[in-house]
Amino acid sequence: MTQIAQDEPAVVIIGSGAGGGTLAYELTKQGIPCVVLEAGPYLKNEDYENDEWKAFHQMAWLDPRTTSGSWRIAKDFPALPAWIVKAVGGTTTHWSGATPRFKDHEFKALSTYGKVEGANLLDWPITLAEMEPYYDRAEIAMGSTHRHGRKALPANNNYKVFANGAERVGYKMYATGPYATNAEPYDGRPASIQDGFNFQGDKSGAKWSIMVREIPRALETGLLDLRPDSHAVRITHDAAGKADAVIYADKDGHLQRQAARVVCVAGNSIETARLLLLSDSSRYPKGLANGSDQVGRNYMRHLTGSVYARFDKPVRMYRGETMAGLIADEARHDPSRGFVGGFYMETISLGPAFLAAFAEPGAWGPEFAEIMNAYANTAGMWIVGEDMPQETNRVTLSEKVRDQWDLPVANVHFDDHANDVAMREYGYGRAEAIYGAVGAIGHHRTPPYPSTHNLGTCRMSADPSDGVCDRNGRTHEVENLFISDGSQMTTGAAANPTLTIVALAMRQADHLAGELKRGNL
Amino acid sequence: MEMTRSVPSGSASSVAVSTVADDNYKRIPIGLERGSGSRKLLARMLRVMFPHPQIGDDPYIRTAEAVLNMACEKPGRQVAFAAAIQDLMNLKFEEMDDAAALDHLRGMQGHDFFTQVQGSALLAFYDDPEVWEALGYEGPSFDKGGYVNRGFNDLDWLPEPRIEEYQGGEA
Ligand SMILES: Cc1cc2nc3c(=O)[nH]c(=O)nc-3n(C[C@H](O)[C@H](O)[C@H](O)COP(=O)(O)OP(=O)(O)OC[C@H]3O[C@@H](n4cnc5c(N)ncnc54)[C@H](O)[C@@H]3O)c2cc1C
Repeated sequence: MTQIAQDEPAVVIIGSGAGGGTLAYELTKQGIPCVVLEAGPYLKNEDYENDEWKAFHQMAWLDPRTTSGSWRIAKDFPALPAWIVKAVGGTTTHWSGATPRFKDHEFKALSTYGKVEGANLLDWPITLAEMEPYYDRAEIAMGSTHRHGRKALPANNNYKVFANGAERVGYKMYATGPYATNAEPYDGRPASIQDGFNFQGDKSGAKWSIMVREIPRALETGLLDLRPDSHAVRITHDAAGKADAVIYADKDGHLQRQAARVVCVAGNSIETARLLLLSDSSRYPKGLANGSDQVGRNYMRHLTGSVYARFDKPVRMYRGETMAGLIADEARHDPSRGFVGGFYMETISLGPAFLAAFAEPGAWGPEFAEIMNAYANTAGMWIVGEDMPQETNRVTLSEKVRDQWDLPVANVHFDDHANDVAMREYGYGRAEAIYGAVGAIGHHRTPPYPSTHNLGTCRMSADPSDGVCDRNGRTHEVENLFISDGSQMTTGAAANPTLTIVALAMRQADHLAGELKRGNL
Repeated sequence: MEMTRSVPSGSASSVAVSTVADDNYKRIPIGLERGSGSRKLLARMLRVMFPHPQIGDDPYIRTAEAVLNMACEKPGRQVAFAAAIQDLMNLKFEEMDDAAALDHLRGMQGHDFFTQVQGSALLAFYDDPEVWEALGYEGPSFDKGGYVNRGFNDLDWLPEPRIEEYQGGEA
């Protein structure tokens, strides 16, 4: 592998997930050498475990974090606000694969929804029209089904229940995708064997992840210096205020310094904000690029909630692609439902180990056992919708807890907005109607899991006082510092975020490559 | 029964804590060691907590062992568990019928001992392959070629749904 000297000012990317991994490939492909610092280990697909807890303990981010606020997570999982992966490839290793695009009006949330009390809505400084070519490129890269000639995945058992229910309640916009897993061989990767292990990392390689595409291809260019087990702890700057290096702790906890010409942060919203807050100085007393005091604020996690329904006949929801089923009829803005924004419904399945832990945290006794007893006859769906950005929903540095490097950990504060609560209640009702229409004999409303979609802590804004970065992800305050992950998102939209994160990273790579070639950076 | 509340318990917070000590509880004679009856008592408590009549005693016993191992990781917890278990023995918990036992456990809800047993037992019990089998879950599948030829789409009590997107535009 290429080695870039530590004193050579390089393009340094922090994090190797959807955002950072895409950026690294798109830049090296254009001839630009990059250093990628990844806090987690370099695991390969063959290392992944077909076992929920083993996989979780193998790869999830388990460094301490703390929580506060009225969200239920703070009570049930106080040390685990989010389900994020710490490994090369980031959370695209555990992700599922749903790839809907954001809608035109969702880039204009403030103009479309109007002022919503308590929410910090804003229009994005970019539009769907500008994103469309990048959405095309991202879908082609990820091999989204139903797009660009990619075949649809077949219906699995969980989908059969879901889609028949949808049809019977009058929904039209259901399908087995778009979903970034191959129905037939594509791009050097095999077709799905429907093994049911998505959230644990896909051993077969049928599922797109940064580990099966961007990392190996970036390495092939000979221009990627990938450093696993390298945890960035501070971004430093020169006397003029430009970022000039990244300090990181290596595997043994020894500090290393990589000189930087450009720094791109893609640590997944919580860690991205934390790193900027940790990089304070007398010039940037509130943290790097935080003159607006917006770093860490407007943290979003999508609405989410699940419904598990019981039938008197077998379903076996765990067989097959976990999330290859989506209903889009409710993903519209229609305030007559009692809330702004929309939501998707998507199939979901957990094994008994995770269902027991997450179906109703803290539950026990005969009613809980009934949920578990019905396992083989259970169908499941996830509700994922737009939640409101709020200034007080916020990542800050903990004053009490420190991590293995003795650095303050992130505290994640979250309160549901009334709009979130109204949408979730409505979504639960629709999910129950769907399952009721195909004969469910019981159902359970499951609260949000530790957040899998973490967004918005360094949002894009046209006006520097409203956000942290501009339409290219460049921070308003530090001209060679970029935000390259989901923290850029001005608002969350209803759709799962990864397609948009990848498209934004592709767009940013083009911008960066142009600026570098023009000598502007 | 009231126990120290210094440990943040929260049923599922143990999710982020993976370590299960090896079997030191068997050796330390403070009431949790083998032969003390603590394992059997806990197994009974677990059956009342997670009642699955079709599941035999073995998974409950294995789970009781996992709970005791967790309890023995820290001296404070260990001594608290020993006291709580002794208390249940004194109350003849094992002789209570299902309804009385359930009632008794309801009264213990919110206490540290109960919360810790519930949280760690839940993780261990539903992670036991014998329990998976009893619930109808088949476990790892990649090595068996996935389910592509083993019933991923064998549900036959509903019609085959459309898999393509709706062609009629926005509904
Ligand atoms: C179970 C599950 C299912 C999901 N399913 C879907 C889905 O169907 N569709 C969808 O769109 N999305 C899905 N997601 C979400 C998706 O995985 C994320 O949106 C996406 O991976 C986020 O990309 P990212 O680049 O922001 O962060 P990540 O992919 O999380 O990458 C961040 C990386 O940065 C590293 N890092 C953090 N801090 C530092 C530091 N200081 N120094 C060095 N490295 C650091 C981390 O270790 C990590 O590897 C799912 C997530 C989960 C957990």
